[in-house]
Amino acid sequence: MDFGKQLERLEEIVRRLEAEDLDLDAALKLFEEGVERLRAAREQLAEAELKVKKALKVEGADR
Amino acid sequence: MGAPLDLFAAASAEGAWTVSEVTRRARAVVEAGLPPLWVRGEVTGFKAWRSGHWYFSLRDKIAQIRCVMFRNDNRGLPGPPADGTQVFAFARPTIYDEKGEFHLTVRELLSTEQGGLWKLAFEKARAALFKDGLLDPARKRRLPPFPRRIAVVTSPDGAALRDIHAVVTRRWPIAELVVVPAKVQGEGAEASVCAALARVARVEADVAIVGRGGGAAEDLWAFNSERVARALAAVPVPVISAVGHETDVTLCDLVADLRAPTPSAAAEAATPDRVEVLGHVAHLAQRLARGLTQRSQRAVDRLDRTADRLTGAIQFRLERSRALLAAHGARLDALSPLRILARGYAVARDADGRVLKRVAQLPEGREFQLRVTDGEVAARVQPTVPPLHVVERGSGGEARSGGEAGGEA
Repeated sequence: MDFGKQLERLEEIVRRLEAEDLDLDAALKLFEEGVERLRAAREQLAEAELKVKKALKVEGADR
Repeated sequence: MGAPLDLFAAASAEGAWTVSEVTRRARAVVEAGLPPLWVRGEVTGFKAWRSGHWYFSLRDKIAQIRCVMFRNDNRGLPGPPADGTQVFAFARPTIYDEKGEFHLTVRELLSTEQGGLWKLAFEKARAALFKDGLLDPARKRRLPPFPRRIAVVTSPDGAALRDIHAVVTRRWPIAELVVVPAKVQGEGAEASVCAALARVARVEADVAIVGRGGGAAEDLWAFNSERVARALAAVPVPVISAVGHETDVTLCDLVADLRAPTPSAAAEAATPDRVEVLGHVAHLAQRLARGLTQRSQRAVDRLDRTADRLTGAIQFRLERSRALLAAHGARLDALSPLRILARGYAVARDADGRVLKRVAQLPEGREFQLRVTDGEVAARVQPTVPPLHVVERGSGGEARSGGEAGGEA
């Protein structure tokens, strides 16, 4: 999942958990999802190697 | 002592001019004789004042003229001319009264070196882009906060790509760089950059950087092409231009969603800092944990309160029941026949257990059971003796006892 969306969802979960009077079951479900998203976000952030790709050849370079 | 005074008075009266009169007349003559004209020369002694007005001289090998170019006239120019620049100036010759100085009020300035013509082309292209709304600030798109893929349109072996690579590696290696190679200067650059920009749409990037590294001497021509500017405007994702230098704003800069002074700055603008993001994530983790703790604490509190109420309610019930039970017990006790017997009463019953309450039930000689408080005795109704005829001690007592028993039952 896209990191930005991951983080957005995580922020939403935290906000709801803090603000809304959810029933305990729903709160637990949200928490579990939050933990999962945290793990995924941290995993993504841990990726250290920048990937570089080259798109095709230089257009018109040899003209 | 009055003579010198007279002398001066006389001279003045004969028509000696004041300084202001001379400069005013000179200005009139110059302005009448030299209408606004194009002057060619080299810029020297350039100085921009805080007011925004420019002061400099134009010179050739023999002569020089002071020039002023007011802010309203110079602010449309891409930048101030460097000393030594050959220019065409459209100017009005005049006399500056306060200094008695002959000078040119410059209204327009064009570089004679490639740029002179270029500026005209630039202005025409800019007007066309403006007319089509491509310079509208509302068109500028926001850069994605966490880009997954960054397209870089630049020379594949230039300094721009190296700089961008270094910055993205440091800040946001989560992203992927897709280099879209282009020839950014010299012959064919315009077509090459246009083609590369068109290709950006196909690499599915979130953001694109159009970069060009290197010194001020390099030509920016490709990035001032209207065609390239339109190709840039057509890129479906936000574009950061890093092609100009400090003073020259290119058409690409004007059309781009963000103008960065250097390729490194463009890469910084395109990426978040991983360390900061990690901090933010850690903070979210704390809040997540705290959020759940608070939520479950609320549940525990509520449970406790409910349990308290439950216990209270049950205790109340129990006490009431106990009180009721005690009350009923007391009443039962009061009603018990045993209690009555204890007070000295007795119950007479026949062999079947029927209670004998009336005299008719107790004929002479009838045997019956008498229940007293601590047990039963067998009894019999004595024959009735006329009380006046037989008065015997003891038997009277017996009879009385029997009568008592019969009467009470």
